[in-house]
Amino acid sequence: MADEENSPGSSMHGVTGKEQSFAFSVAADPTILTDSTAKFALPVDSEHKSKVFKILSFANPHMRTFHLSWISFFTCFVSTFAAAPLVPIIRDDLNLTKTDIGNAGIASVSGSIFSRLVMGAACDLLGPRYACAFLIMLSAPTVFCMSFVSSAGGYIVVRFMIGFSLATFVSCQYWMSTMFNSRIIGLVNGTAAGWGNMGGGATQLLMPVLYELIRRAGATPFTAWRIAFFIPGWLHVIMGLLVLGLGQDLPDGNLSTLQKKGDVPKDQFSKVLWYAITNYRTWIFVLLYGMSLGVELTTDNVIAEYFFDRFDLKLHTAGTIAATFGMANMVSRPFGGLMSDIAARRFGMRGRLWNLWILQTAGGIFCICLGRANTLPLSITSMILFSIGAQAACGATFGIIPFLSRRSLGVISGLTGAGGNFGSGLTQLLFFTSSKYSTATGLSLMGIMIVACTIPVTLVHFPQWGSMFLPPSKDASKFNEESYYGSEWNEEEKEKGLHHGSLKFAENSRSERGRRVLSVSTPPNSTPPCV
Amino acid sequence: MAVVEGFLVATLLLSCLASTSYGVTFSSLQKTLVVSASNQQGKVLKGGEGNITITWSYNNSFPAGTDSAYKTVKVKLCYAPISQQDRAWRKTVDNLEKDKTCQHNIVSRPYSPSNNKFTWSVERDVPTATYFIRAYAYNSADEEVAFGQNTDAHKTTNLFQVEAISGRHASLDIASICFSAFSIVSLFGFFFLEKRKAKSAEKK
Repeated sequence: MADEENSPGSSMHGVTGKEQSFAFSVAADPTILTDSTAKFALPVDSEHKSKVFKILSFANPHMRTFHLSWISFFTCFVSTFAAAPLVPIIRDDLNLTKTDIGNAGIASVSGSIFSRLVMGAACDLLGPRYACAFLIMLSAPTVFCMSFVSSAGGYIVVRFMIGFSLATFVSCQYWMSTMFNSRIIGLVNGTAAGWGNMGGGATQLLMPVLYELIRRAGATPFTAWRIAFFIPGWLHVIMGLLVLGLGQDLPDGNLSTLQKKGDVPKDQFSKVLWYAITNYRTWIFVLLYGMSLGVELTTDNVIAEYFFDRFDLKLHTAGTIAATFGMANMVSRPFGGLMSDIAARRFGMRGRLWNLWILQTAGGIFCICLGRANTLPLSITSMILFSIGAQAACGATFGIIPFLSRRSLGVISGLTGAGGNFGSGLTQLLFFTSSKYSTATGLSLMGIMIVACTIPVTLVHFPQWGSMFLPPSKDASKFNEESYYGSEWNEEEKEKGLHHGSLKFAENSRSERGRRVLSVSTPPNSTPPCV
Repeated sequence: MAVVEGFLVATLLLSCLASTSYGVTFSSLQKTLVVSASNQQGKVLKGGEGNITITWSYNNSFPAGTDSAYKTVKVKLCYAPISQQDRAWRKTVDNLEKDKTCQHNIVSRPYSPSNNKFTWSVERDVPTATYFIRAYAYNSADEEVAFGQNTDAHKTTNLFQVEAISGRHASLDIASICFSAFSIVSLFGFFFLEKRKAKSAEKK
């Protein structure tokens, strides 16, 4: 009964939003029928997905799922980057060189490239609740393993294994899509992703404080940091148990129903993959996301040590400053999405592209400033502005991704996410692993790379909407939304009517023309469904 | 955009004009102190166990009155070049305020030209590395005015090694195994319990 848009698993619809950023609720939307027979705390649609996003509520099952989900993702970010603020102690204990530290940082973000790909399948097979619980509880031993580490090699391996847990991003987004109506899913997913990413900041604050407390309780430094790692480990176990105990896969709590739906693949994976990888825009965004999320992850790994060494700060002071970088995610990522929506209202897709370029380039420029700043206040200011630029660019990226393709949206979202992690590994390898240049120089060079690698966004061109410098094609009958999204289906498939979902999406995506949409006839009273 | 540009220019200017703090430079110090340490060749000191006896005195071959400004002497544990390789956080720079060569303090004593001896037991937070001993003489304004070290100018002779404690404890290892086992067991326990419940519910 459920159409393509609402089926579980198809909604890596991302964290976009033209309307969603303002749409905390589609409760009043007449086109989505409310199921009044259902007894839930929140108004639900025919699939019992919530039509409303009430952030401060813990109503079962929808909002409870939201909170379980984002906190699990947050916990995995905490444990993946837990070592970063403690590196000044760990490097003395394990006799690490800069190369070792750099390699460990790369390892910590590389593992999840693969685990995120597997996680999608796991969600389909086991359901998001078990997929999340399995990952988070099986990665708890890897966190506890830190107490065994006594060499550089062991340190790198353990950080690699902990990094697998970042795949909770996939289960988080997947689980949200089973619980929330697709028209508000953009905001829900964006908030969950942003709040989860905050973990990278929270850990910079938490770990040094724990270390100080444990040291004052009498432990030596080289033991205290090992004990400190038990706390993220316990968080994994606690969240895993909460997810198992309090969570449920579907609003109705029925896993076997999910299995029945997920059994029959909605589309041929080979075709979906083909249309994803042959779309040149996919690869541009893989590069771009590496320069927004990627540099954010890299900075999570290096910034505390940088402040500790460059300005001779105490460990917990360096950690506090580093924390503000990651914590800014709470508002800056949704802010980027919001700016994208505002730009799109007036200028359509061209506005979104310009918005992304401006935010990401500004982030790059402030990264250069961060590396060059010689005084602490200037350094902190540059860092905060850099964080806003880079994180808002993450939000803005997922304001555009849903429009790249309708058929291959899941694969493109997955590839983009993997590109983010790859970008992180690459920037750490290039700038923060060798002793050829100092960390400060590395930051400046990374800033230059961000600015340079953001330029390809000028090449992203939609025939029906234009690009940054080119207007849309004049021939509106030949190059329109339908032809763009329809081109992903061949004649045979079109005859079978498989492309109808794409056509519907095309019609609703006309809003990406900006103000000009008034000149194109749209059916009255229809709010474009936001994916 | 103009505002951003203006801000950017101001930021760059400020960062260039930011004053670099200047302090006493190492190259300006005279090596007027003679320092020696009791380490035996080839013996590795263990963190928390080993100890080393340090003696220092004033080198009388310098003109009289050179040491009139000396008030205190601080003896420090310093990293040898081999332990500084690929580790920028232990870098040697001439400006003593930024110098990171000597990060561990051994002892601080009021200055006296001879008869200075101290036995230091290696603390448990000293990292595994190769070291030498250096003593700085300070004046009343707490600025370095002279130094002495137990190795030569290139820091190649009389170096000794410290082997740090690992920080690992059997109790930590056991706790870690217990919690890991709990995590795995409770996960699979939950999983199979629920599967069994679903099967018996289906049968009903």
